[in-house]
Amino acid sequence: MQLASKHALVTGGRQGIGRGIVHAFLREGATVLTCGRGDRPDDLPDACGWHRTDVASPEQVAHLAKATGALDILVNNAGVQVEKTVEDSTDADWELVMGVNARGVFNCCRAFLPLLRKGGSIINIGSISGQVADPEMALYNASKAFVHGLTRSIAVDHGPHIRCNAICPGWIETGMLDAGFTLADEPEVAREEALRRHPVRRFGKPEDIAEMAVWLASDLAGFANGQLFTIDGGLTAASPLQPGFC
Amino acid sequence: MSGRIEGKTALVTGGAGGIGWAICRRFAAEGAQVICADITAPGDFPPEGVEHRNLDIADESAVSSAFARLGAEWDSLDILVNAAGIEIEKTIEDTTLEEWNHSFAVNVTGTFLTSKFALPLLRKGDGASIINFGSYDGFIADPGLAAYCATKGAVHALTRAMACDHGPEGIRVNAICPGYVDTPMLQSFFTGDGSGGGGRSIDALQQAVRDVHPMRTYGTPDDVANLVLWLASDEARYASGQLWVLDGGLSAQVQQMRL
Repeated sequence: MQLASKHALVTGGRQGIGRGIVHAFLREGATVLTCGRGDRPDDLPDACGWHRTDVASPEQVAHLAKATGALDILVNNAGVQVEKTVEDSTDADWELVMGVNARGVFNCCRAFLPLLRKGGSIINIGSISGQVADPEMALYNASKAFVHGLTRSIAVDHGPHIRCNAICPGWIETGMLDAGFTLADEPEVAREEALRRHPVRRFGKPEDIAEMAVWLASDLAGFANGQLFTIDGGLTAASPLQPGFC
Repeated sequence: MSGRIEGKTALVTGGAGGIGWAICRRFAAEGAQVICADITAPGDFPPEGVEHRNLDIADESAVSSAFARLGAEWDSLDILVNAAGIEIEKTIEDTTLEEWNHSFAVNVTGTFLTSKFALPLLRKGDGASIINFGSYDGFIADPGLAAYCATKGAVHALTRAMACDHGPEGIRVNAICPGYVDTPMLQSFFTGDGSGGGGRSIDALQQAVRDVHPMRTYGTPDDVANLVLWLASDEARYASGQLWVLDGGLSAQVQQMRL
């Protein structure tokens, strides 16, 4: 039980990576709360608390902080994506993507920093897309680069008391990935080819990210601070140009 | 005096190669006196201002005597371009120790030796610039190019180390990290086993490679020479210790999902 007696808040635990982290934290003995914009999901484990919160709203996050109390672990996972270029992106797209992915992380860090106990760990979910661009994901890519920059700032400013790191997932089997493939002319061909581009020959699972979150949350990671940890099956270690796939 | 490096002296290793030759010609056109150092002679007749000299950069005594001779001829050396390089298209399993050592001898040891023996002459001028050749392959891997990727990563680290050590002496050190550039080395990659061309025509493969680039083209040796010229010139006097990726945006992308 690597997280026994620790209190954790995971934003965006309804599904995907957030839900995977909730399950892993519970398994490791943590007391876990999660939040999302809608009602409590029916399949959320009873042991996990749920708050209806839009992280893009400073008021709602402040309210959540008041209700939560002291924490050891904050995971800023909640995120949305809009598949557009800069030219096609609307003001509403900006509000949505930057509101949740950028301002939401800021809101939660600001509200929960005073509530984090000494030795606490903030884990932000960045993305490989914050390092290298996914096509037609302009605001998403930029919002994740914001997360990376904020991660380093918090690590530097609040280092003595808390640690702050980011995990940069690659392609993880979630609804977001399926949404990408449904845009393809031949979704199955696209999926097969995408798999071949991964040196490990599979996509990631939420559990792959959750295991890194457990480590970063635990005291074993006591010297890890201010870093971006990429978990992508080797995808971004290889050139985007592989003549065998052209 | 209109040349951007008018009156400067330059030595370009690998000067007879695709990129090296473009650099030699560009330097001469901008007013420099250029030694094209290579183990082979250039295919074209050298233009005014360019002189070819035979040099094996992996041979310490040859490099030592080449710079001793240069020191007797020139008051100082202003620009050293380490453009000589080779690539072996194999995984580590298929790479022999001899091939591995040869890759390092040319790409890493060669850069070390020429820089080491050029330093006394570089110090004598009024600010000098060393330009090494890294590669985008020093950051991310192309399949089946293991030794090459490793040598370029070593050049990147050596570039930063040299910039730290010799900056106080007025010597700037940078590396250019090209992506796909139209050279004999690239053509060999297209036709070689490592390309995974799958029996398609080279034309079709080349077009497919262009299409993966955000600029929809791969680079020319002149594109690289333009950046080398800037780094060699006094306009770049505050640029040091950096790795300059020049790849038409290729490595700014995540691998492409085919839609």
